[in-house]
Amino acid sequence: MKDYQLAWKNLWRNRKRTLITAASVFFAVFLALIMRSFQLGTYQKLYSDVIESYSGYLQLQSSEFLDEPGLDNGFVVDESMIARLEADPEVTAVIPRLESFALTASGSRTQGVMVIGMDPEKEHDGLNMRNRMVKYKLTPGAVASLKTEVLPERSARLLDLLINESYTNEEKMLLDLGLSPGDSSAFMPLLRKHASFENSYLSSSDTASAIIGSGLSEYLQAGVGDTLVLMGQGFHGTSAAGLFVVKGIVSLPTPDIDNVFVYLPIEAARWFYAAPGMATSAIINIRNREDKVLFKTQERLNEAVGEELKVRNWRELNALLLNQMEADNKSGAIMLGILYLVIAFGVFGTVLMMLAERRREFGMLVSIGMQKHRLAKVVSLEMLMIGLLGVLAGVAASLPLVFYGNDRPLRFRGEMAKMYEDYGFEAVMPMLQPDSYYLWQVVIVLLIIAVAVAFSVRKILKLNIINALRA
Amino acid sequence: MKVVEINDVCKTYHDTEVEVKAVDGVTLSFEKGDFAVIVGPSGSGKTTLLNLIGGLDHPTAGEIIVAGHRLSELKPSQLIDFRMEHVGFVFQSYNLIPVLTAAENVEFIMNLQRWPKEKRKARTDEMLQSVGLSDRHKSRPSQLSGGQQQRVAVARALAPRPEFILADEPTANLDTKSAETLLDIMEKLNREEQMTFIFSTHDVRVMKRARRVITLEDGKVVSDIRTNHNS
Ligand SMILES: Nc1ncnc2c1ncn2[C@@H]1O[C@H](COP(=O)(O)OP(=O)(O)OP(=O)(O)O)[C@@H](O)[C@H]1O
Ligand SMILES: [Mg+2]
Repeated sequence: MKDYQLAWKNLWRNRKRTLITAASVFFAVFLALIMRSFQLGTYQKLYSDVIESYSGYLQLQSSEFLDEPGLDNGFVVDESMIARLEADPEVTAVIPRLESFALTASGSRTQGVMVIGMDPEKEHDGLNMRNRMVKYKLTPGAVASLKTEVLPERSARLLDLLINESYTNEEKMLLDLGLSPGDSSAFMPLLRKHASFENSYLSSSDTASAIIGSGLSEYLQAGVGDTLVLMGQGFHGTSAAGLFVVKGIVSLPTPDIDNVFVYLPIEAARWFYAAPGMATSAIINIRNREDKVLFKTQERLNEAVGEELKVRNWRELNALLLNQMEADNKSGAIMLGILYLVIAFGVFGTVLMMLAERRREFGMLVSIGMQKHRLAKVVSLEMLMIGLLGVLAGVAASLPLVFYGNDRPLRFRGEMAKMYEDYGFEAVMPMLQPDSYYLWQVVIVLLIIAVAVAFSVRKILKLNIINALRA
Repeated sequence: MKVVEINDVCKTYHDTEVEVKAVDGVTLSFEKGDFAVIVGPSGSGKTTLLNLIGGLDHPTAGEIIVAGHRLSELKPSQLIDFRMEHVGFVFQSYNLIPVLTAAENVEFIMNLQRWPKEKRKARTDEMLQSVGLSDRHKSRPSQLSGGQQQRVAVARALAPRPEFILADEPTANLDTKSAETLLDIMEKLNREEQMTFIFSTHDVRVMKRARRVITLEDGKVVSDIRTNHNS
């Protein structure tokens, strides 16, 4: 009989205890993975939302801009330098942008906004503004008329919860209404008829048009065709004022952005701020967005831009957000720590019980000639098997859930959603696909088991046969 | 031929406030083929003496030589190998590994000794047959009676052909009939395999079956009587 066979048989001597121990490891691994997946998935979504809708992966700025953002730290766009950057194999486009603050008013409401002067033809990758234009909106009117149509009962009920919700695509609207993509042909005509949203995108030649975030549109009660008054401070303290007609509404993933962004064609913004030929930043679109490659690209580009300008990466650009997430991550780690502590106690309890219960048997085995190290090996194998059983089961059980949660993120409604949005987060919790964090959870659990193994091995090596036999 | 030589051996315990001389100046030797029983009142040092002979414990003074090995010269791990190779143990209870079948238990020491599989199987069959359990190969200890468990323990102890068998009150937990059966088997194996048995008991019926009765009192040998009866 091989040692592992004996160990395997020993596992089932006390089936209940083995299963309880394996189950506790299982739950620890399972819960930790799910928790971690939600947490990391949420961070990742937040990062990619902010990167895609605003900062980009790399940005060209004047070297002071990061510490003191503002028009006065803008720079004059040098086309030849832009061409030099675009010649880099990793760079696909360099898109100047002029951004600053302004006060906006429409009707009786006013709001501080961020004005983004951008190139409507070349806005940065990922943002894809055209796709984010609102195509459907469940206005109270639309909901009322939809209710006169024949709809599944569930969808009719859901409509009330979805008043004023805007959609950039059909799938998401169908999903929210409890309909499957297969229902598309039956219900989309109705939705198109009642809830379509008239919207158009900017063109570079527009001089007095704007696109605004859906949150801002709602707050200002300004729809397509309404006029916004923008007032602010132009370059070198000039005063800036202008009238812009809302041409379109975009739905942006981060409420912080959705609620305050006004997009103008860059030439219109330059006129508004009296800053001809200038930019505050330029988004640099790159091919490979992995951090490792991206940082190298950044280094290379920085050599090409000279003293006055600097290429910043998304981490530098979003330092505040990263700090926040870092803090949140710490509190998550504490939760995990507590979870593991509970499990460690559980595993240790089992080990102590097992050692006490089998003391006589250990004494007998060493008496009849089994070397202590061999006995220790058998016992270690047993514990490793229990541990692996729990770990593998935990990993296996988490996988479908994590993949599902990644594919169809958890979306909050009502109070919960409001709470999230008040914090500036979209009320969505996607799960991160299995990644190195899986490995870490497994390593931690195996470490806990290793400590328990080390303890048992020590106990066995120090076993006093005579006392064990008398026990 | 001398299998065990015990020269003026003492074992003192200091665990408690008082010093206990569990074994006090014992000199004894056992010959190949002995069927010897150690008797004496509770606390007289029987278990202690058997543990010393088996290399489970160290004497405080004196020398024990078993099969040419001076036990005091062996390192702990060598002592374990020594036991595996030369000594068969039968304890009062909890002899068997609960998760293994009777046959696997009998094979266990041969396994440690790395016998080839064929020889191991053959010897296991032979031993289970000898102790009258050839139909219980696959039974777990929990499925066997106390007497049957002790018989498996005897089979396991004997299977690898040790120098001698040490049995501390092997019948103490058995009813009369089971005890008789176990003794019959031990006697038979003593005869057929020339196996040396050294065991302790409280049981007068067991005493009567032995060919040599050593009586201990307060850790001292007070009598050592050879009877020549064959049952
Ligand atoms: N590990 C120990 N620590 C301290 N004292 C011990 C130890 N083992 C035995 N003793 C003492 O040594 C003496 C002899 O004990 P031992 O167990 O050898 O007697 P025994 O003849 O086997 O008794 P019994 O018939 O009850 O089994 C007793 O007084 C006992 O209390
Ligand atoms: Mg005793």
